[in-house]
Formats: sequence, structure tokens, C-alpha cells
Amino acid sequence: MRSLRLPSFALAIPAWAWLVTFFVVPVGAVLYFSFGYKPGIFGTHATDVLSFDRYAEALSPTFFEVFMNTLWVGIAGTLLCLAIGLPVAYWMAVKAPANRRGLLIALVMVPYWTNFLVRTIGWQIILAPEGWMSQLLQTVGITDGPLEILYTRTAVLIGVVYNYLPLMILPLFVAFDRVGPALREASKDLGANRVGTFLRVTFPLARPGIIVGLLLVYIPLMGDYITATVLGGAQGNMVGQLVASQFQAAQNWALGSAMAVLLILVIMVSAAAIGLLLWLVSLPFRARTRVALEASA
Amino acid sequence: MTTTAPETTMTDAAPGAAEASAPRTPDAPVARRARRSPVDVGLTVWSVLVFLFLFAPIIVILVYSFNNGRLLIAWNEFGFEPYRALWEKPAVRDAVAVSLRTGAIAAVLATLLGTLAGIALARKPGKWALWFIGLLLLVSVTPEIVDAVALLPWLVFLGQDAGLSIFNDGTVRLVVGHSLFSTAVVTYIVRARLVGLDAQLEEASADLYARPFTTFRRVTLPLAMPAVLAGLLLSFTLSLDNTVVAAFVQVSGSTPWPVYVLSALRGGLRPEIAAVSTVMLLLTLAALALVAVVLKRAGDSATQIARTMSGG
Repeated sequence: MRSLRLPSFALAIPAWAWLVTFFVVPVGAVLYFSFGYKPGIFGTHATDVLSFDRYAEALSPTFFEVFMNTLWVGIAGTLLCLAIGLPVAYWMAVKAPANRRGLLIALVMVPYWTNFLVRTIGWQIILAPEGWMSQLLQTVGITDGPLEILYTRTAVLIGVVYNYLPLMILPLFVAFDRVGPALREASKDLGANRVGTFLRVTFPLARPGIIVGLLLVYIPLMGDYITATVLGGAQGNMVGQLVASQFQAAQNWALGSAMAVLLILVIMVSAAAIGLLLWLVSLPFRARTRVALEASA
Repeated sequence: MTTTAPETTMTDAAPGAAEASAPRTPDAPVARRARRSPVDVGLTVWSVLVFLFLFAPIIVILVYSFNNGRLLIAWNEFGFEPYRALWEKPAVRDAVAVSLRTGAIAAVLATLLGTLAGIALARKPGKWALWFIGLLLLVSVTPEIVDAVALLPWLVFLGQDAGLSIFNDGTVRLVVGHSLFSTAVVTYIVRARLVGLDAQLEEASADLYARPFTTFRRVTLPLAMPAVLAGLLLSFTLSLDNTVVAAFVQVSGSTPWPVYVLSALRGGLRPEIAAVSTVMLLLTLAALALVAVVLKRAGDSATQIARTMSGG
């Protein structure tokens, strides 16, 4: 290989050029448009006068509410995914028969690889007021009238939890699986009970996987467009829809661009804030589990 | 404590023991079930419920694809009418054909770009690699809707203002839109595979006076092959499923199937939507099963396969 005279990054140039041309440049243009304005009814954007006015407009009360709504759905959805997915991942990695593990992973994969739009439409059928679930609940007597969940924020929350749950289960499974049985057995041999073993050995060692899972769910969830479009009504609005409507119906690319840039900023800042919070919360944890962490290295 | 300790050790040592010797004796799970604690039972029940939750909408779509009614949501009677409509309606068939065509082209393109980049990242990392991985991360975390709204004006500009009429072509636009995320995914997968393998074989090849290209073709590429094939199939399925970017960049006349479904959403869904979804789901699952087989043959564990198939 020493005789190769090309620069070390030569093989990466085609991919780099492709991504710069069709990702960096257009996204950069969006950033630029966001400082412009919409000139009259027929124009989509103009950039002869640059200002931060579109950002002020994007944060005006009507739109600000959508941003807050998106944050609410994002945080609640991510936490629900963790609460629902953690026991499943633990069960898959520790309790389930080892020879079934491949099958269980495949069972988590199938929903993940089913078309996003299609599985969301599946929920639309389930939650519809005239659908079978609604009729079943009425027949059994759990509800008095038809189900009134569809086109509300609750429907969006169910949809996002469903849609991103596999992205939580898989990294958590990998994390729990990696801990392996040896350290758990050692903990038991040293006299710890099951709860102690979970809290002081398994959980701290799986913590990186938990953080990966939280990010893998939170980041795409915040930018979601499909779930809110299919399941959300006026209350289920998310920023993704707002961006789309500015580019399509309103033909106001400048405002849509400002919203897109704000969306990315909100995701980055809130993800960093959550990461910092988790780190601070885990500080006392870390001190106590030092020995276990070194043993795993 | 003294009476329960050996018991708990046994229940939890069992998975580990089974890992070492893959084929379990048939009576082993029964023995374990008899000693389950309430916590274990609770975990199992919870997991079963979550798996039911994960499959609920998919089963609903499968069942409703046999709905002979006029509207998807309102169940009428069991029948194969939706599948017949699928066959007879040119719009749906065309949409599937567009998806398959763009999926194949986007997959080949993303695999080509991603494989080369992945090899460079694994074998010749330098200061540039940090920047490049940063770019890939940016591509992966940017919301699809932002990609979509950014790409549309750019493609219109290239096609109309810059006079590059190739970008007015529906297939080209979809391929461009679908290839971005896939390129990043293939790069991750190929890099991960090669980083896990020692570079000694390539060095030996060079020491034996093979030219760099020969080493690349006869040593590096075969080593990376399982990852390349997995990346190809993953890109194909990613492209088949791409809805958001496709909805924005598509040109009328070359609508891929998810966009057809999305536009049908506004005018009331008909049962053939469930039928086409079922057909495409089967196709996707076939491709994914193939990925799993390829990776398994290359010696990956179930966990490694899971990591690769969730996008690195």
C-alpha cells in the first residue's frame, strides 16, 4: 500500500462530492433563504435585504405553540419509549432463551422496516372512531361513545412511541447483551440481591446504550412529519408539518427556511441539554460503580 | 438468602450456558419456567404485550388488505378485490415500478460511493476522517423534511436555471434524494466491518508486490463484501420506503408508491392501499432476510446483525 501516491482520502472523494452537492449546498441555501423575505404573492423568497425578521416571525405566538408542542411530544415520546422498551430489551438480553434471541431481534426489526407511512396508517385504522377498536371498546363497555383519540395529540404520541420504539429496544438490547452473565453472577456471588445487581452492575454498564437509545429516538422524533400528518389534527401539529406547509401551501420559502433552521437548532440544543442532564444525574451513580466499570474494561 | 441464592444463580446462569452450546436440550426451558420469580413473569408478560403492540398496526394492514369494501377503514367483507384492483389499476402498478427502478439505481449508487468512502475511513484514517464522519453524522441527523425542502429548490435550480436538464427527470431526482442517507449508512457498515479486520492481509499483498489496485480488488473488496452486500440491500429497502424526500422531489408521472399512498391519504384511503403495502412489506422482508443471511454467513452474531440492520 505504501506505493499508493493518491492522497489518503482519495476513495472518499466521490461520496464527499456527492453529499456536498446534494446535501451541504441545498441545506446551506436554506440557511441563506432564512435571512431573506417573501416578495409579494408570487415570489417564494428574496435575499436582497437580509435580516433576522423571519426568525421573529417563526417564533410568533401561533408558531411558537407548535414548537412547544413538538418539544412536548418529543420529550414525552422519548421517555415513554424508554419506559416501555427497557424492560423488553432487558428481558430479551437476559431472561429470554438464548436460542430464541435471533428470532426476537427479527421480531423487533420487522415493524422497524415496515414502511413508516403504512404502519402509521395502521394506527389510523385502529384509532378511528368508526373502527373495530372503537366498536370493541363500546361492546365490552369500557367506553360509552366512539373512540375520540384520532386527530389529537394523544394519537400523535401513540404514533411516535410506536414508530420509534424499535430504535430504543435495539441499542438497549445490545447494551444489556454486552454486559454478559459473568458480572451478574459475580455480583450475586458477592451477596447482592437481584435489585442490587440490576441497579449497581447491569444498569450502570448499560448506561451508554441507554443514552444512544434516547438520542436515536429523540432526534428523528423531533423532525417527524409523517406521524403528525396522518394521526394529528390541529392539536397534533409538529414543526415538520409547519416547514412543509410554508414550502408547499404558503409558498413562503424564507419563513419555511427559518423554521427549518430553528427546528435543527432546537433539536441540537435540547438533545445537548438532555445529555448534560443525564450526565449530571449519573454522576453519583458513577462514583459507586467505579469498580464494576473497571472490571468490564 | 441461603436457600434462594443457588436457585437464582441457576436461573440466570442458564442463558450463559446456552450461549456456549447453541442447541439446548428440550427440557431445559421447562425446568427454568418452574423456578420463575414474579419479576420474571412480569417481564415476560410485559414483553409479550409490547410485541403485540409492535405488530398491531401491521396485522391490521394485512387483514384490511382483504377488505372488499369501498373504503379502507370501514370493513365490509373478506375478499381479494383489493389485490385484483392492484393488478388492474395502472397508477398503483406504475408507482411500484418507479419505486423498484429508483430503489435499484439509488442502491447501486449509494453502495458504490459508500463502499469507497468506508474503505478509505477504515484503512487510511487521518485528520480528514473526523470532518468526513462529521458530515455523515450531519446527513444522518438532519430531519428528512429539511432535506426535502432543501433539495426541491436546488433540483429545480439545477434543472431549469442552470440548464442541466437531467435534473428534470423524475428518476434522477428520486435517485438523488434517496441516495444521501443510504450513502452514509453504507459508509458506516463498510467501515465497521473493515475496522474489525486486521490490515495484515492487505500489507502482505503489498509485500508480495501486488499493485495497489490489485490489492484493492483481490483482498480489500472481498473482505468488505458481506458489508457491501448488506449495504446494497439496506439501501434498496431504504429507498423503497422513502416517503418524505420523495414526496417533495418527485415529478408527476414518476410517483413512487409511498408518495402514491400519501396523496391517497387526502382523498380517502381505499383497500388497495393496504394490498400494495402488504406486497411491498413482503418484498422488504425478503430483502432483509437476505441481509441477515449474508451477515450470518460472514460470521456475525445476532447482536452484530441487529446493530448493522438498525443503520450501524
